[in-house]
Formats: sequence, C-alpha cells, structure tokens
Amino acid sequence: MSISQKHASIVVSDLVKVYDPSPRWMSFLVRSNLKSSVKAVDGISFQVQPGEICAVLGPNGAGKTTTFRVLVGLTTPTSGSATVMGYDADTQAVSVRKQVGWMPADQRALLMRHSVNENLRFHGQLQGMERAELGMAIDETLELVGLDGWGTSTCFALSTGMKARLQLARALLHKPKVLILDEPTGAVDPVASHELVHLIRDIVSERQIAALISSHRLEEIETLHSRVLLLDEGRVRYDGDLGSLRHKYAGPRLSIEFRTAESASEAGISLKSANIGVISHNGTNGVICELNPDVTHASVLSLLQSQTEDIVSLQESETPLHAILANVYRDRKEGGE
Amino acid sequence: MTTEVNDRRISPGWRKTAGAFLRVDVIEEINYPLTLVMTLLGVIVPLVPFFFISELVGSSRRVGGDYLTFAVIGLALTAALTGAMSGFGSSLQRAFQRGTMEVFLVEPVPWTTLPLAMNQWTLMFGALSGILIFGVGALMGADFQLAGVPVAILIAVLGIIASTAIGIWSAAILLLTLKSAPLIRLYSLAASLLAGSIFSVNQLPTWARYISYALPHTYVINATRTALMDDPGTFQMSTTTAIVALLIFNVVFLVGGFFTFRKALEFSRKMGTLGGY
Repeated sequence: MSISQKHASIVVSDLVKVYDPSPRWMSFLVRSNLKSSVKAVDGISFQVQPGEICAVLGPNGAGKTTTFRVLVGLTTPTSGSATVMGYDADTQAVSVRKQVGWMPADQRALLMRHSVNENLRFHGQLQGMERAELGMAIDETLELVGLDGWGTSTCFALSTGMKARLQLARALLHKPKVLILDEPTGAVDPVASHELVHLIRDIVSERQIAALISSHRLEEIETLHSRVLLLDEGRVRYDGDLGSLRHKYAGPRLSIEFRTAESASEAGISLKSANIGVISHNGTNGVICELNPDVTHASVLSLLQSQTEDIVSLQESETPLHAILANVYRDRKEGGE
Repeated sequence: MTTEVNDRRISPGWRKTAGAFLRVDVIEEINYPLTLVMTLLGVIVPLVPFFFISELVGSSRRVGGDYLTFAVIGLALTAALTGAMSGFGSSLQRAFQRGTMEVFLVEPVPWTTLPLAMNQWTLMFGALSGILIFGVGALMGADFQLAGVPVAILIAVLGIIASTAIGIWSAAILLLTLKSAPLIRLYSLAASLLAGSIFSVNQLPTWARYISYALPHTYVINATRTALMDDPGTFQMSTTTAIVALLIFNVVFLVGGFFTFRKALEFSRKMGTLGGY
C-alpha cells in the first residue's frame, strides 16, 4: 500500500463490475431485458483524499452510478476492491455506510409526507444518534444548508432546490467523513444549483470530507475547482485537474472579428485549408479557431495576410469544458488517447 | 459471521431501528385520517352479514350451535394473521415504488433486521383489527369463554410469528422480482379456502382437509375456537396439538424465511437490482 493510499478516504483498485442476465430459473418469476453480460465498470482505479472533491464525469452508461453503488455496498464488485476509510465496501458495508453521507440522484428518496425534521430524525436514528445529540445536529445542519426555519414544513411542499438542500442535509447530518453525491443538482434551477455547489465546496473544505460528485452540469465542475475523473465505457479516460485536462485535450480559442461577413468567410476557408481547427464562421463577421502548440497567434495571422486589414478585434478565451469532453470522446472513437 | 457480529456492534441497535420505522409509518397513517377510519370500518362492517347468517345457521351442529362466535374467531384471527404476513412485503414494495428503498439500504443497519422493522405497523394494525373484531363481535352477541383467553393469546402470538415468517419468505421473492408477492397470494388463497375461517374444516373433502393441516392458519383458528368456545363444533383441534405444530412451523419457517431472504439479498446485490424498481 502506497503512502497516498494509506491516507486516502476512498480507494478504488482495479474495480470491475459485470451485470449478468438473470439465470434461466428466474424467468418464471420475472422476465429480464438483459440478454448478455454488460461490463459497466472495467478495471478502474482512483483515490480521494480528505478535503478533496473528485468530480466524476462521463456520458450515460459510463459507469459512474455503478461505481457509487459499489462504494456504498448496494452492489458487489465482480473483481477488484473498493474501500472507504479503510473498510471494504463489499464485506464491511455497514461500517462503510456509517462513514458515508449519500445523496442519491432521485429526489423521491425523501419521505415526502413527512416534515423536514422528521426526514432528518429518521436518518439520525438509523445512524444511532442519541435524542439530544440528534436535536442539536438537526438544527445545526438545517442552518448549514440554509433551511433553518423550514423544519416543520412538509417535504412535498418544498421547492426542488430546497429538496436538494434537504437531501444534502440528510447526507451531512451524522458528520460523515465521505460524501457521495450522485447528480446533486439534477433538477435544480441554475441559480439554486450554483448556490448548492458553492455550499458543497465550502463544507467539504471546512470539514475535510472526501467527496465524490457526479454531474452532467459541466459549469458546476468548473465552479468546484475539483479534480476530474473522466469515465467512459467503464474505464478511466482521464484523472487529474481541470487545467491539465484543458492543456491535454484543447488549447485556448482565438476569436477574430472582421469588418464584413465575406472577409470572415474567406478567413475561415484559408484557416481550414491550413488544417487549423475552425469552430465557426457561419455567415457572421466572426471566426473562432482552436490554438495549440503548433498553431499560435502569429501563425494564424500569417495565414490571414490578405484579410488582416479587415480584422476589427482579436480575443483569446478558454475552451469550454463541454468542448474538451467532446474532444476526449472523439479521440477515443478515432482510436487515439 | 465475524462481519455480521461487527455489523451488529456498529449498527444503531434494534430499539432505535424499530422506533425509527414505526414512527415514520405512524406519521404516514395519521396523514390520511379518512383512509385510516375507512380501513377500520372495512374491518368491522364485514361482520354484519355474519350476524344475520348466524341467525340462519346458528343451530348447526357443525359450528357448535353458535355460528356468530365461530365466524368472529375465524375473521379476527384471519385479519391478525394476514396483517403479520403481508406487512413486510407491502412495505417493501411501497419503498421500491416510492424510491425510498435505496436510502433505507444505505443506512448502517444490517439488512436482515429490515423485515421486522418495516413490518411493525402492519403487524400492529392487523392485531388491532383482530381485537376490534372480537370486541364488536362480543357486542353483537358472540360468546367467549374467558378462561380460555390466555391460551388463545399464546396460540395467536405463535400464529402471528409463523405468518411473519411466511411474509419474510414472500419478501425474498419480492426482492428478486421487485413486484407483487406470488407466495402470499397463493398462501392467502389456500388459507381462505382451507383453514376454516368461516366454515368448518369438516365440510371440506378429505384430500383438502389434509392440505389444510399444512397451513398454520388452520391450527390457530381452530385451536382458538377450542379455547374460547363452549362447543367448537365437529372439527375440534386440541390446543396442545396446535401449540406443538405452531412451534415446529415457527422454527422451520423462521429459519427458512431468514435464510431465503438473506440469499435473495445477496443475489440482488450481485445482480445490481437492489433498491431499484
């Protein structure tokens, strides 16, 4: 075991999960749609340290939820291992669940006919918290997530954003050392989602929790400034920080604005013929192209000699995360790294 | 085995687990007061036709000459036993459908404690329904021998344990299929036809009577009649025989039920279907 593994809160090693079709004898009880085995997770390894947020990204079916379900003991690994705070997720699942705050993607997972307080009380009792400790923890946690004063409200009457906060409160109530949040802002509006992400970031930092978060909202991942674990078809495509990901898969972008649409169009054609990645020149006055170590500002301008007099402005910007991810997956389809 | 011992040490303990689930179920029921009242009415009202039927068949020797008492005992115990039997399965299915099952499973509670924790309210409601039927039956004129009450309670408790065990067995199938409870339906059908809740087992053909001996309901209902009725009719079940039979049923069904439930949990966990619907 390496030193980093020794201190890591979550350690996943060579994890494989294969979903098999139901055995034939079960067909008289229930019919299964799965006709052949599906490898949902294919040998992934990663670690999460205390105080670190690891954002797990990937298209649907990439293996994110399966990995989370293995970590909380809801399913067993086919091979490999997953440990949380040193406890094996397969054989010591109850100990693992004591250490983990879990926020499922489904908001229905709350007790809808019960009050906010009752939802938390139920969870606290099952976590073994004593009555006095539980009362204080409920007040403290509701204040932390911005739901103070809502304790007696019935859950179904809360807005989607408030339900997400209540789910977060439930995950935090017993002061876990590990947070596993499966699409925590799934149905939440952008403003509430932004606030929730900031809240998660602050709590993780303050309490030194190891957090695993999956999300399809890429702007949230940028806000979290977290480590990124990119999964695809059950494998890790990238594991590192966002800056390195940008550097590896996409350079900055150069936006050039011309006086006329004709100049922009001619510039687009010139750049394309020189194999420079042109993002757009669709009849507007602007052209956006990708820069990389071989394509610099100077090389772009030298290709546009005849149109340089028509250039109104030049601006460099960062490539959006969704475009970077598209590059990663395109590389995979083309057989590259 | 060591893991299970560790799990029990870490988990909140039976009292807290049971308290948490019971509290949630009671709050849920109180939230729908009219439904609760109608359910209770639904328990009592079916007694009324039996009052009038008893006027017709009251003198029948097969039911000991007092059909109202005969039917009240059968209906009350069937209500209590059905509650114990179907409680866990219905709670489990409701949790699957509502999406709360996954959250229950992620709590640090050994999963094998869930069948009893999630069954408490239905079990209590079934027992309450049984007591209510006995009470209303007495008001209608049913005549019980008070001296037999302690034995009757013992037999009822043993029957409730056996029914809970059958419910756990059925819940194991529910875990695999995530829908309906075929075992409970099959058993309920057999019990309603063969256990003699509203007619004497003696009226059944001989082959059906043999099958009825395989049902705990038969022992509970008929031995309770022996304990509580002056004359339980032509089908007389000794209370001692019933207690011994129910003890055997309990050992076999509880061991088998928990074993099957545990295996179903392990299988669903491996298949990745646990918590989903």
